Amino acid sequence: MRKKTGILFCVLIFVMATAAVSAEWTFDKYHKPKELNTELQTLARQNPKIAIIHTLGKSYGGRAVMVLEIGPEVGKKERIFPAVFVAANMEGTVLISSEAAMYLAEEIIKKPGVRKDKTWYVLPCGNPDAAAGYFARPLKRDSRNARPHNDDMDDRTDEDGVNDLDGNGIITKMRVKDPQGQWISIPGEPRLMKKADRTKGEKGVYKLYTEGIDNDGDGLYNEDGPGGVNIGINFPHLFKFFTKNGGSWAGSETESFFLIKFIMEHREIGMTFTMGATNFCLVPPKGGRKGAVDLTKLKIPKRFAGFLNADPEKTYTIKEVIELVKPLAPQGMEINESLVAGFLGLGAVVNPLPEDLKFYKDLSDKYKEFLKKAKLDGKRLDPAAAKDGSFELWSYYHLGLPSFSMDFWTLPEVKDEEKKEPEITPEKLEKMTSDEFIALGEEKIQKFLKDSGAPDQFKASQIISALKGGMMTTMKMAEMIRQMPKPKGKEGEDPKEKALLAFSDKQMEGKGFVAWKAFKHPTLGNMEIGGSIPFADNTPPEAMIHDLLKGQVPWVFEVASKMARIKINKTEANALGAGVYRIKVWIENTGYLPYPTAMGKRNNRILPVLLSLEGKGFSVIEGKKRSSIKSIDGYQTQAAEWIVRADKPIQLLIKAKTSIAWCDQKQIKLGETK
Amino acid sequence: MKNNRIILLIVVLAVVIFSAGETSKAAKKEIRVPLRFDDYYTYGEVVEAMQALHNAYPQLTKLEIVGKSEEARVIYAMTINNPKTGKELGKPAIYVDGNIHGNEIQATEVCLYMLDYLLGNYGKNQEVTKLVDRVCFYVIPTVNVDGRYHFMTDANTSSSNRGLRIPKDDDRDGLKDEDFPDDLDGDGNICMMRKKDPFGRLKTDPEDDRLMIAVKPGEKGEWTILGQEGIDNDGDGRVNEDSEGYVDPNRNWGFDWAPEYVQMGAGDYPFSGVGLKSISEWIYKRTNICLAYSLHNAAGMYLRGPSRKALGEYSSRDVEVYDYIGKHSERMVPYYHYLICWKDLYTTYGDSVEWITQMMGAYGYVIELFASDEESYKTRDDESKSKPGQKDLMPLMEGNEQIRERLKFSDNLVQGELYKPWKPYKHPTYGDIEIGGWVKLSSRLPAPFMLKNMVHRNASAMIFAAKHLPEVKLDVFDVSKIGKNLYRIRTRLVNSRAIPSMNYDAQKNKLYPQDILTISGKKAKVVAGGKLNNIYTDHVTYKKHKPEVQSLFVPGFGKVEHQFLVSGKGEIEIIYRSRHAGTITKTLKLK
Repeated sequence: MRKKTGILFCVLIFVMATAAVSAEWTFDKYHKPKELNTELQTLARQNPKIAIIHTLGKSYGGRAVMVLEIGPEVGKKERIFPAVFVAANMEGTVLISSEAAMYLAEEIIKKPGVRKDKTWYVLPCGNPDAAAGYFARPLKRDSRNARPHNDDMDDRTDEDGVNDLDGNGIITKMRVKDPQGQWISIPGEPRLMKKADRTKGEKGVYKLYTEGIDNDGDGLYNEDGPGGVNIGINFPHLFKFFTKNGGSWAGSETESFFLIKFIMEHREIGMTFTMGATNFCLVPPKGGRKGAVDLTKLKIPKRFAGFLNADPEKTYTIKEVIELVKPLAPQGMEINESLVAGFLGLGAVVNPLPEDLKFYKDLSDKYKEFLKKAKLDGKRLDPAAAKDGSFELWSYYHLGLPSFSMDFWTLPEVKDEEKKEPEITPEKLEKMTSDEFIALGEEKIQKFLKDSGAPDQFKASQIISALKGGMMTTMKMAEMIRQMPKPKGKEGEDPKEKALLAFSDKQMEGKGFVAWKAFKHPTLGNMEIGGSIPFADNTPPEAMIHDLLKGQVPWVFEVASKMARIKINKTEANALGAGVYRIKVWIENTGYLPYPTAMGKRNNRILPVLLSLEGKGFSVIEGKKRSSIKSIDGYQTQAAEWIVRADKPIQLLIKAKTSIAWCDQKQIKLGETK
Repeated sequence: MKNNRIILLIVVLAVVIFSAGETSKAAKKEIRVPLRFDDYYTYGEVVEAMQALHNAYPQLTKLEIVGKSEEARVIYAMTINNPKTGKELGKPAIYVDGNIHGNEIQATEVCLYMLDYLLGNYGKNQEVTKLVDRVCFYVIPTVNVDGRYHFMTDANTSSSNRGLRIPKDDDRDGLKDEDFPDDLDGDGNICMMRKKDPFGRLKTDPEDDRLMIAVKPGEKGEWTILGQEGIDNDGDGRVNEDSEGYVDPNRNWGFDWAPEYVQMGAGDYPFSGVGLKSISEWIYKRTNICLAYSLHNAAGMYLRGPSRKALGEYSSRDVEVYDYIGKHSERMVPYYHYLICWKDLYTTYGDSVEWITQMMGAYGYVIELFASDEESYKTRDDESKSKPGQKDLMPLMEGNEQIRERLKFSDNLVQGELYKPWKPYKHPTYGDIEIGGWVKLSSRLPAPFMLKNMVHRNASAMIFAAKHLPEVKLDVFDVSKIGKNLYRIRTRLVNSRAIPSMNYDAQKNKLYPQDILTISGKKAKVVAGGKLNNIYTDHVTYKKHKPEVQSLFVPGFGKVEHQFLVSGKGEIEIIYRSRHAGTITKTLKLK
């Protein structure tokens, strides 16, 4: 017994002395959700002083959703340090993102510097049911958790999924010759299919289906496979109702609800990283969505205008509306922006705020430099755009935090031999003034529009006059160009498929594609099975994992080091005589990022910097013992002043408190003779 | 040390006894079936009343714990279902809840009354018996159990204590719920504070010296209103600026929820209220709910959605159903108006009835109980002169004329109990002030003598609606041999009530599968089958695949007919299955 205790003691000492990461874990394969959890538990067990597991709940399929906390305040309720939350693989189909989260967790454990005054929460797999699909056979890609859902609204649920007809363990496509077919194979590349273009005189040959039979005999193929909700689109910002795989409402699933709850209960979380298919580090969140309300130009509906004494034809600022409402409100009722916005039904912010785009764009430039150094800046297909209801959008719009996201790999872009680097790109465009752009001349502008895939009716001459007239800016135009669908290749093939084929041929010994092979289908008759392999376009070969992570994951530390950090820069106390002092304190944000983001200011969720004067034997003549500063931009300083009275010499403690940008305090001595 | 422990023990015991007092105090009022409706029940009494109902009618009722509130009070639901006529989920159901806003207490009384009335008249009154045998009632009389408890126990205004007990930092100073109003004169009400002030903008109303009116330019002022009764508890120079919550239990539901900056009271995320989450889960399992009521106060309204314009108007056929029930309700409950939430009241996000409507495919109404006209002080002549319509929709706009009338009502019908005359008080910050005004149990709540009328009329309106839960009958009206070994079978599903077997928006949104009609026989094969559009021209839309399974719905006051061509012989079974209209099975023999 005694001996055992001794051994335990030695082990404990060992654990305390060195932060350990397990030796067996390697980044040369993809891990099952269960393996990720086991490893998280191992890391927590090996590093009890700095790491702990939070189990958020269980998925519909019975898989635990686990967050690893690493940092200086493990297990504490009251916290003084801010935290970064890292959520990976929310859609369950981006396998490399889970590996990236594990890589990050190991790095955090290995590097005391990054966790000495900052907590990290790492969720390696937010959608474990879907993620398990990668390891199941037949191989198919599906973002939904295991909740049953009647997709085709018939008398049975989950009764008609895909079937591996050719027995190769992979679900690909079926093509069947059909007089009503819309698809043809691409001349010169018979493995790829495209929609027949009637304007070019092409006539469709094939109908395309996913591989499978009509299990329920309703004439449809694979229309009601098992699975319910894609966790990656089950969050409250711009959540879409009545979709097939989005869930009934935001947070309808255990996986999403308890994640939202956890984050809301951990007010120290000051930044989030989403690892998945989008990349806000590289491409700032997109704007240009309709439905945004301009708070400086509000119209008051007729039915309210009457009793508000307002003119329904005029526009008002939100501040003016508040003034109109105030005299009508019952005594003691506070009339603020939020109340008025709700009353007028103004709705939510839907585009990133311009102030925030500044840091997103600047950090994106820096990230590109970073990637260049890591030699990972090869031309590749664009990261996905963030989806409505996604975790990363919720994080920016509802939490009001700097929300960053990273994908780690997309297919290399196929180099078109004739195509040179275009003279103008959206990135270059938004940095130009209108005059500079116009100076390029109509011809170049027209070519740029054509190359960007702009519809034919967009004429350079119109753009030029719109720019001159101020109806258009280079910034807006760049945003529009980004939204346009990528121009199709010469032959009209999907650029993604083309890239996959090239990658498959060069890097995967052709394993990204299954060649079309004849098959006799029970109801469709003679047809062929083949096409691209699920996951081949978003899951790099295992041998690439380590280098991709080593080159990109450390950017997380760079960005995290830019969090807003509140400090008391300087204090001053001037004796005005008779025990009365004027106190001035300069509060500085020594971080690069603003406190809080413009969105955080708008949504009111982030508390101001709270200032307090503490001590005994003083009274405040001007100012309040507890006061606040609403926001401080990155690298900026703001001053606060008080007049206090202290009859005897005292020590005054000044505190500046935030939950996401550290805290600071300074002593001032009042009444001491020099 | 030991002494300290004993003191601690005494404190703990005191707390236990104090909280038990909630029910023991209730025991003073004897609660028996039939329930009485001449005063308001406390939370403890509500629980007792539900238990009494269950004890009196154990075969017809089920009393369930739905969940617990933020302060761990139990939320109860009562189900009325006659198991002899079928299981709950096999019948159409109406769901009713009340008191989601803590201060809107009369809503609970309406719920209790409806339960008591249905159960008490079962077996005595034929209409009630028929209804209770046919449909299922789900009732949660008090949703916001903490709110009801605190509203009735603590000092309040008639509008305070609406929210959930989730502490929130309203004034964004780092402290939560630290500056409630205070009952300075200890009368159990939060009234108003005023101060003599020659620079004030108000003067005494010459018609009633308890009221104040605005001074005209050039006139000398007399009074300044200092707001609700209270002190600056946190020393920030502001009075009563951070009281309970505020998370509004009727802005925290999962459908069309929007965050706090879009709408005050939203809470951090949908269903952040623990009690609400339990209730939503409880409701979600009851897939037979076709009709839902949420009871609030005040202003006398039967409201339907949409709660926000941008959601778009409901399907026109759904609106017909709403109108049919809504207009009947207006007639049954005088002074109440049938209106549309966003258009006639205001925009809301994440409200409970919109959630039930959209996520359950039910027809949902909000009842705003108690119209101020009910405590008017008018002659018949005055009444015919006053403009009909919506004058009391906006309590914000209440004019002095109406307030004077209410004062006379208070003076002469409840001997002044609704209004406290102004009385001097020495305030720590403001010095000599006066406290007075409307009491907690006024303004939005009918005086107890009017309760019975209110609960009966509103319960009757809901019972009327419940009678229109879908009632579908299956008739096989034609079985004829049309060839060798081939039969034609025609079915007719008839709904004799106003509510369809599936709501039109639910169909549009593919919320859940439509009703199913299946036909099968061991020795028979369905050759073709489909909807019979015209019985005279024999026009049928045959279903291409699986003709033995038909998806359909039965409209309100309507029918749907099908035709099947069946080969073979022997016994044929026809089954109709509906989430909202139950299951019907018919068998026949092919000869």
